[in-house]
Amino acid sequence: MKLTRRQALEYAALAGPAAAFAGMVGAPLPARAATEITAVEWGGDVVKAMKEIEAKQSAVKVNWVLHQGGSGAILPKIKAAWPNAEYDYVAGWEGSFNGMVKEDWLVPVSIETVPNLADIPQKIIVKNVKGEWMAVPRAVGGIYVAYRKDICPIEVKSIDDLFDPRLKGKICWPGPSQAMMLPLVALSLHAGGNEKNMDPGFALMKKLAQTGNIGRVGVTDTDFSTSLTSGETALGFYSEPQLTDVGKSFPLVRLTKQRGVPTFLYQSGFAIFKNRPNLKPTLDFVNFCISPEMSTLYAEVAGEAPLNTKAKTPDSLKHLAFTPQEFDEYVYVPDFNVVLSSQDAWSKRWENEIAPLL
Amino acid sequence: MRAERQAYPLLVPAGLIFSAFFFVPMIGLFVESFRLYIPGNIGSAANAPFTFANYAELLTPSFGGYLLQTVRISLFASLAGLVFAFPLAWWITRRFSPRWRAIAVGFLAVLMFLSVLVRTYALELTFGSAGPFRQTLLALGVAPNGRAYIEFLVGAGLLHYIIPMSALTLLATIQNVDPRLVDAAQALGAPGWRAHLTITIPLCTRGLLTAFLFAFSYSISAFVIPMILGKGRVLFISNLAYNRFSEIADYPSGAAISIVLFAVALALIYVASRYIGRRWS
Repeated sequence: MKLTRRQALEYAALAGPAAAFAGMVGAPLPARAATEITAVEWGGDVVKAMKEIEAKQSAVKVNWVLHQGGSGAILPKIKAAWPNAEYDYVAGWEGSFNGMVKEDWLVPVSIETVPNLADIPQKIIVKNVKGEWMAVPRAVGGIYVAYRKDICPIEVKSIDDLFDPRLKGKICWPGPSQAMMLPLVALSLHAGGNEKNMDPGFALMKKLAQTGNIGRVGVTDTDFSTSLTSGETALGFYSEPQLTDVGKSFPLVRLTKQRGVPTFLYQSGFAIFKNRPNLKPTLDFVNFCISPEMSTLYAEVAGEAPLNTKAKTPDSLKHLAFTPQEFDEYVYVPDFNVVLSSQDAWSKRWENEIAPLL
Repeated sequence: MRAERQAYPLLVPAGLIFSAFFFVPMIGLFVESFRLYIPGNIGSAANAPFTFANYAELLTPSFGGYLLQTVRISLFASLAGLVFAFPLAWWITRRFSPRWRAIAVGFLAVLMFLSVLVRTYALELTFGSAGPFRQTLLALGVAPNGRAYIEFLVGAGLLHYIIPMSALTLLATIQNVDPRLVDAAQALGAPGWRAHLTITIPLCTRGLLTAFLFAFSYSISAFVIPMILGKGRVLFISNLAYNRFSEIADYPSGAAISIVLFAVALALIYVASRYIGRRWS
């Protein structure tokens, strides 16, 4: 039978109200489709891991949106669109969570709404001023010194080695929008300061900039991995995912347990938005993501150590597993409130004092 | 007169688009640049008080250095672009057959549409410090990670866009110059180079100025090229603005930098078009 355009339009017009009516009276419909949510994730191995997790369930279909630039780059888009921002969850870390909490965008979470939080160390969960849990941690990554053993001209054992003239142009140093500027805190610690007294750190950073050893200032995640892979630079301060793929192809030395070279830990996790209609499916999906099995899968694929105490840490991430003694000796836990509220000032100070020397 | 009035509605669509997508956001940016920023917040609060602090903090030698660096590299790249583009445009106009002219113009247009990321990474991979020319550079005594070389690479990245854009701009200009003037000069004994210097180039001044202004406006506001090829060491003003807007979320400061860049670009373009144009035309 030949269908004319007029007939097709008439059928379509009739089909709409009929379907709506059928829905209202509870008439049987085809199999219920998964709820669609929109999530903002990191690219590379992280979103690959999340897609594998998504494939292991059918309740939720995720529309993946990737972070463009740093995790903070999404914030102005949300602020401009609020309360109509269309993200059900945004993956981030303490830095971006802190801003979202201050803007009152997030829904508090608890063991009642996300039961697998019971297996996550509570100490690490981001809280608001009322003490409510405001984000769901999924993994922990490290920020630490590492180098490619095959091309690094020296064996690096301490911060002082970074000043060795044989490292001319060989260091990739994180720019002011990277790694919360914790590498500068490391210099400060080495010079007798800390995150509350950064003058020694900036003074040491000036000296390091003047050596000419910094060949690249990493401003995007890929800068670090491509620079190290290509051999442009041989060492630097890295966050874990930047090294995951590089480590598969090149011999890396990760100084996570080296006295005098502090390691920093950060959490990655989910910030769940309160303005969205699919809150329950989003919470359920996030809960599924941090289950022991999915945490293990995430760690294997994304290269961040699981926070769920029942998950298995892959051998490739053993350098991020610390005994309590090792934790005390090698890991420095800064006052994140100070670190986060100082980013603006440190960044401007970097532009004024350090960048002109590079 | 009546016909002129009847034509005014034709301006309405473009006027609306510019008002909605340029003037209104720029006004918002301008207002934001005077807001007080509290560190740790995302931008300024809705009722944040007004302040000049965001502009005052730019009155530093280092910000002046960034501004100078942006203008210097943009200026050199724009002038170098004209030096390369003018003979190219002349050759395409005067020497190519109509068929080859169409091919050449098509090629230049394609270059304009090629993703800036693709060209920038192509440059980085080829001439970067880990590229195939690394050994050649070292043999020539050029440090691939040296600041001078990085600045050169940023300029080369800008030329990728400036040359085709300038050449396309200059095609029509050269086309409008009567070739018989140069022929006459040469018939009267002037060497070819002198005929071009005294006839072709002066008659193309307006076109050259237009091409320069296009190139310079593009360069001074470039973001991706210095971000990738500058290795975080050669920063343009737009990179500084991005840093403020992105990780730190200090929008008032980012807005102040953007307004300063906008004002500087407008001032330089005004000076170039008014004084240089008047003197040379």
